[in-house]
Amino acid sequence: MKNSRVLIGILGLDQHEVGAVAVARMLRDAGMEVVYAGRFNLPAMIVQTALQEDVDVIGLSVHSWEYLYYLPELMSLLEKKQVAIPLIVGGSIITRADEAGLKKMGIAAVFGPSATPQGIIDWITALSGENRGLRNKKYG
Amino acid sequence: MTERRTQAQIPLKEFYTPEDTITLDYETQLNSPGRYPFTRGRQADLYGASGWIQRELSGEGDPVRSNEQIKYLISQGQMGIDVIGDSPSMAMLDPDHTLAANAVGTQGVSLCCLDDYRELYKGIPLDSISVSSSLPPIFALAGLYLVAKEGGVSPRRLRGSVLQTPFYAEDCGYAMQMPFNLRLRLSLDSMEFCARKMPKFHSFVEDTYFFSESGLNVVEEMALGFVEIRHLVREMIKRGVDIDSFAPRIAILVNCGMDFFEEIAKIRATRRLFARMMEEEFGAKDPRSLAVVITCHTSGLSLTAQQPFNNIVRGAVQTLSLVLAGVQAIEVSAFDEAYRTPSKESHLVGLRTQQVIHLETGVAKVIDPLGGSYFIETLTNELESRIWGMVQDIEARGDPAELSYEGWFRRFFQDAMERYGKQINEGRLLKVGANVHQIPDEEDTMLKEFTEKKFEPCWDRIEKIRLYKKGRNEKKNKEVLQKVHQAAKQPKASLVEPVLAAFGDGATMGEIAGVMRLAYDYPYDPHGLLEPPI
Repeated sequence: MKNSRVLIGILGLDQHEVGAVAVARMLRDAGMEVVYAGRFNLPAMIVQTALQEDVDVIGLSVHSWEYLYYLPELMSLLEKKQVAIPLIVGGSIITRADEAGLKKMGIAAVFGPSATPQGIIDWITALSGENRGLRNKKYG
Repeated sequence: MTERRTQAQIPLKEFYTPEDTITLDYETQLNSPGRYPFTRGRQADLYGASGWIQRELSGEGDPVRSNEQIKYLISQGQMGIDVIGDSPSMAMLDPDHTLAANAVGTQGVSLCCLDDYRELYKGIPLDSISVSSSLPPIFALAGLYLVAKEGGVSPRRLRGSVLQTPFYAEDCGYAMQMPFNLRLRLSLDSMEFCARKMPKFHSFVEDTYFFSESGLNVVEEMALGFVEIRHLVREMIKRGVDIDSFAPRIAILVNCGMDFFEEIAKIRATRRLFARMMEEEFGAKDPRSLAVVITCHTSGLSLTAQQPFNNIVRGAVQTLSLVLAGVQAIEVSAFDEAYRTPSKESHLVGLRTQQVIHLETGVAKVIDPLGGSYFIETLTNELESRIWGMVQDIEARGDPAELSYEGWFRRFFQDAMERYGKQINEGRLLKVGANVHQIPDEEDTMLKEFTEKKFEPCWDRIEKIRLYKKGRNEKKNKEVLQKVHQAAKQPKASLVEPVLAAFGDGATMGEIAGVMRLAYDYPYDPHGLLEPPI
């Protein structure tokens, strides 16, 4: 089985990069391939990069409230383009209430301040496996 | 037993004795506060009657809302103003930029034109209160200068500061998407301008806070800070500016983490290093050039999202260490820092933390109360030598502009981010409530009603700025922007005057920054979404 291929990016003008960099390197150390999209992404750019790079999972690091407004747009873009790549979100600012809202929106996994590295790795591994089975079908 | 080490990995003994400080020479290494090499403090009357400048970083929503916030803080005893811009402002983008849409006014105040600064400072006595900011320095300077003049306050009386971050801003935090040479030139031009027109204003605050938040230790923090200071000072000397005309207006905004004694020793070592460098290497003669002003923002990175009440304790401990080290101004990172820019409640907690330490504990009554401690003096010496060693090491790698272009600094910060993440994950750096003494999320409710409270971006401001731009005389705006562009094309011209003129005539920050980028063959809009107006 090939290694998981993960896109890591940040939305809008959120300039906090510590989490994204730390997670990207952690995933690399765990043997995954990381496509680092860095800062200043709009939803359309994330979708485009994810398709171009043929990733298994899209991971967004969020440290400003901008994500609350960008994620609905991103999810509907994925749906419109029939892209079956699961989206996961992580960041210390995510509250329990936010998490519930995100899950409802169809975000595959949410990692708040108490997430563990192994937990993140396990989720991504599981989602990548599922995703390959689901490729070219609508993600549900 | 595990080996004892400081957070910067300096080995520690179980206790220290006179043997450890036997070679310490009081007059040359310590001396009284206010005397060279200023290890013990920059002034003999460090805190005077009123104490250090007690302030909190503030700014949210539009300028009117932030003006109310500032007035409230002043009414509660705040002694200086420190304004932070929202993320579009920090990135030199106007609120009507596509990428700014969901970020207007949420992480700070939205400021893009002179009208905004007029509203921000309305009714605030600019001749008597110091005004500092975390904003793009050239525009913070222009806003303050122009509003003061309009209000009849001579710029010569203005106190306060701007942060100059030409080296590291692109790499960890406040990317403005400008080339190194332009960033550097804007800093130097501002310093020259202030030396002539705003002699009481700190035109160069070396901000070691923001980049050390990537997880640097204190040695790395101060070494990178000194590398930047030294480069700017050398460039000013190359321009033929007298060192004593600008050196007294250099200040350092440091971080303060949780390693109590190490933070104190860092500040003492920094004062000594700065004094020696200024006198021996740069030939400064004015004592004010040698005694550096140090201010502090306590570490946001040291705070946790879990059990936010613990952050209040952290802020108090950090504030105590800063007062014992002797600094000129303090801002306490708010207890809700992990979630948002400070709420009204956490502002008050930060301010009250400072007031309790100042007014109730008596710790500020004696200057440098830890001076002479076998341990503190040993640690101060050790940090001094490690910081200086690292400065030499970085400078030996060649021109810092080249290092910046090559991405050397960026890698340095990224390695630190990764190292910090690992330290936390592996439990080598303990954070109570986060990786030790945790409680289940559902029980972690205390203060969460404040930390989790959100507010929406100022969407109406986007339309307001659009209308503002439409309401201007387009031809005239083009002309003033062209003047900035022309000046930026001439490396010897100062950029401050043309920026002041354009800002005064109604051009916005995004436009002025864009035409300066163009002059350096960078795209007008770093995100490729806007057409240049000239």
